[in-house]
Amino acid sequence: MRVRSVLGTILWAKVRVALHTLASVRQESKLKVAFVSVSAGLLWVGLFQLSRMGFRFFEELASTVVGVGGLSLSDLIMARMLSVFALVLFVMLVFSNVLVSFSTLYRSREVWYLIASPISLSTFFLGRFYECVAFTSWASAFLGSPVMLAYGLESSAAAIFYLALLAFYLPFVVIPAAIGSVVTITAVRFLSRHRRPVWLGIASAALVGVFVLFRAQVGPADAESTPSFQSLIVMLTKVQSPFLPSTWLSQGILDATTGAIGESLFYFLLLLSNALVLVWIATLAAERWFYAGWSSLAGGSAVKSNRRLVVSRVLDRLLRHLPEPTRSLVSKDIKLFWRDPAQWSQFVLFFGIMALYVANLGGARSFAGQESWRALGTLLNLGASMLILASLTTRFVFPLVSLEGRRFWILGLSPVTLRHIMWQKFWLSVGTTSFFTVGLAVLSAIRLDLDRTAFVLSVAGMIATTVALSGLAVGLGSLYPNFQEDNPARIVSGMGGTLNFLLSMLYIALVAGGQAIVLFWSGVSTVLNGVPYVWAVTGAVSWILVVTVVTCMLPLHLGLRNLERAEF
Amino acid sequence: MIKTRSLTKRFDEKIAVRDLDLDIAPGEFFCFLGPNGAGKTTTIKMLTGLMRPSSGEAIVGGVDIQRDPIRAKQLLGYVPDHPFLYERLTGREFMQFVAGLYRMTDSAFHQHCDELLETFEVLHVGDQLIESYSHGMRQKLSFASCFLHQPQIVVVDEPWIGLDPKNIREVKTYLRDRTREGLTVFMSTHSLAIAEEVADRVGIIHRGQLLHVGTVDEIKALAPGRGKRLSGAGELGSGLGSLEDVFLELTRQAEEGAAPVGGMQYES
Repeated sequence: MRVRSVLGTILWAKVRVALHTLASVRQESKLKVAFVSVSAGLLWVGLFQLSRMGFRFFEELASTVVGVGGLSLSDLIMARMLSVFALVLFVMLVFSNVLVSFSTLYRSREVWYLIASPISLSTFFLGRFYECVAFTSWASAFLGSPVMLAYGLESSAAAIFYLALLAFYLPFVVIPAAIGSVVTITAVRFLSRHRRPVWLGIASAALVGVFVLFRAQVGPADAESTPSFQSLIVMLTKVQSPFLPSTWLSQGILDATTGAIGESLFYFLLLLSNALVLVWIATLAAERWFYAGWSSLAGGSAVKSNRRLVVSRVLDRLLRHLPEPTRSLVSKDIKLFWRDPAQWSQFVLFFGIMALYVANLGGARSFAGQESWRALGTLLNLGASMLILASLTTRFVFPLVSLEGRRFWILGLSPVTLRHIMWQKFWLSVGTTSFFTVGLAVLSAIRLDLDRTAFVLSVAGMIATTVALSGLAVGLGSLYPNFQEDNPARIVSGMGGTLNFLLSMLYIALVAGGQAIVLFWSGVSTVLNGVPYVWAVTGAVSWILVVTVVTCMLPLHLGLRNLERAEF
Repeated sequence: MIKTRSLTKRFDEKIAVRDLDLDIAPGEFFCFLGPNGAGKTTTIKMLTGLMRPSSGEAIVGGVDIQRDPIRAKQLLGYVPDHPFLYERLTGREFMQFVAGLYRMTDSAFHQHCDELLETFEVLHVGDQLIESYSHGMRQKLSFASCFLHQPQIVVVDEPWIGLDPKNIREVKTYLRDRTREGLTVFMSTHSLAIAEEVADRVGIIHRGQLLHVGTVDEIKALAPGRGKRLSGAGELGSGLGSLEDVFLELTRQAEEGAAPVGGMQYES
């Protein structure tokens, strides 16, 4: 008589859920599915082309420098680029695993069910752990594959490169997942939920620590006093610490490509053994600390917190000039946000990434002397800032309507129109995100030492983008709400969230196109012979305004219509 | 079959359950009554191993659920008030999942699955995704899955939400019949009428303290103004009043701080 293992049962159920979810795409609007599929395909192809151009650029740069002792510098720089890519991927996976493992291990509703079942904590943990690995690694696989394919083609790698890539990827993604789980389980067990400032302090210190370490390892501290190519090689070499899994990955794949199978196997086994040991340590941590941490987390909300009352009073005071019911709605949204660790912890991480970005912009000033580089730098900065905003609105604004969830009837029964609720969410999003994004635009413009036109274009562009992307996120969030899911990260990972992010990217591309005409006017004017500069500026501003109004208002209109038709 | 000894749960300064002593026999239908926030769900979470007690112990089927949770949970079935079910599994797949968690053999699963789906009237939707189920159907599937592994003890937390009167009657009858076969049921409910109808014994909890335990008739005998008095309790008397009257009186007295709790003393 066959008895399936418990872990096998849990994973089997997850696979069935995934298959049913895929099958449910048939019930979605065909237009939406087509748009998302085509956009995802275009995103993949775009990344591939961009990566290929980037690798080709570095190869050509290397070919202008004379190698030493017959050493091919282009091969060297390509190898180092792989290490940088692997290191960036590794750091990102560690952070995302800390966040995802918290919601997967502690916040998911099925945790209650599984804990009540006769399964050991190690089985429970491994079931959830594999889900974490799948959840955090699919995006890196999707976004990393075009980069790696471009790398393989540009470095003329043999077929074994791609096979090695597949073999090395699995143990590589398991390591950050195990580290993330250990950090989360330990933190929940030993850090009281009532000490949020301590958590925030530790998270900030960890972020600053990683940044300082990273700067010390790879930062081009002497970039201005040494030739740029040499400093690039030095910088790229520094990311290859023998203690980093990213080095094992990149070195192992390169060895496989060059036919050094023994060395490659060594690095593969190094990755695999470390992955297994770390999973074992994470399982031990779960067996020892998970239940106590989860139990205290599950029952702690009964306690009155004086600090919470003080924060509530301060918030109410700040919002006192808003008319009712807007004040109550805004106050509720902010309180719910800050009382959910899965929300504010990710927000802190976003803020940290923004701070690192601004801190690193100083190095880009060395290009300030050349006009084309300067324009490119400004445009890239705008693009990066707008991408951060797109991630912010997709992650935090899009789920706002869905998070009302099964409580929507409270709003539906109240004497407040749905239009009012949507506009409240829109202005809340504009108000809170613009505080960060417009600040980011101003700071980065100052750091890049932009001239007046570029400065105004950057800041005004960011204000327009904040309005447009907030409208898009609230509108699409209302058009495609998911009232069954309480986890915002999972709400975002659905079709609606994907569509929101892809449309945000499209908007950014359209706006950046308008800005590029102004920034690269000296080049563009040779093509558009006789068109005065002021016309170009007027045309670009009008274009941005039209795209912004359409991106903001159309989804809001459609979303409102959908909510008004819905039955709760 | 279920024993608790000085079971206590503290959330920092607040005590949700204080020194709870219960002793429930095999085959007994025990109803746990109390107002909102009395400590019923916290007690259930400690009995099912969903929450670690601050002190004391919870023993189910002779096994301490904290010391040997897996063996204890093998004996238990649990139906929560708002059941978690995987929305994107079919009803039958969910049953198969539960069978796997309890390490049931394929033949045992096939033997019981359809029978239970039919008993709880969800066989006809067994191959549909759970996301298409009504709340009542989910609750019935939750019951069906709870009995799949033939538990000796079933803990039920306010199970009537979403069930229509016909279903309520059928579930009551099913639970009652199963207790005759030796199943022990621990049910938390707000429905005094149902408790009066099905319970062998009733426990009343308020503000984390057990006020009284007894058969329905023993509790009803404490009805106000009927002769018997509780020492220090003032108003309660004897005679068969309604369970509702006694419940309201006991909880009122506890709020006023008049009632001694746990081992109440009677005087004629």
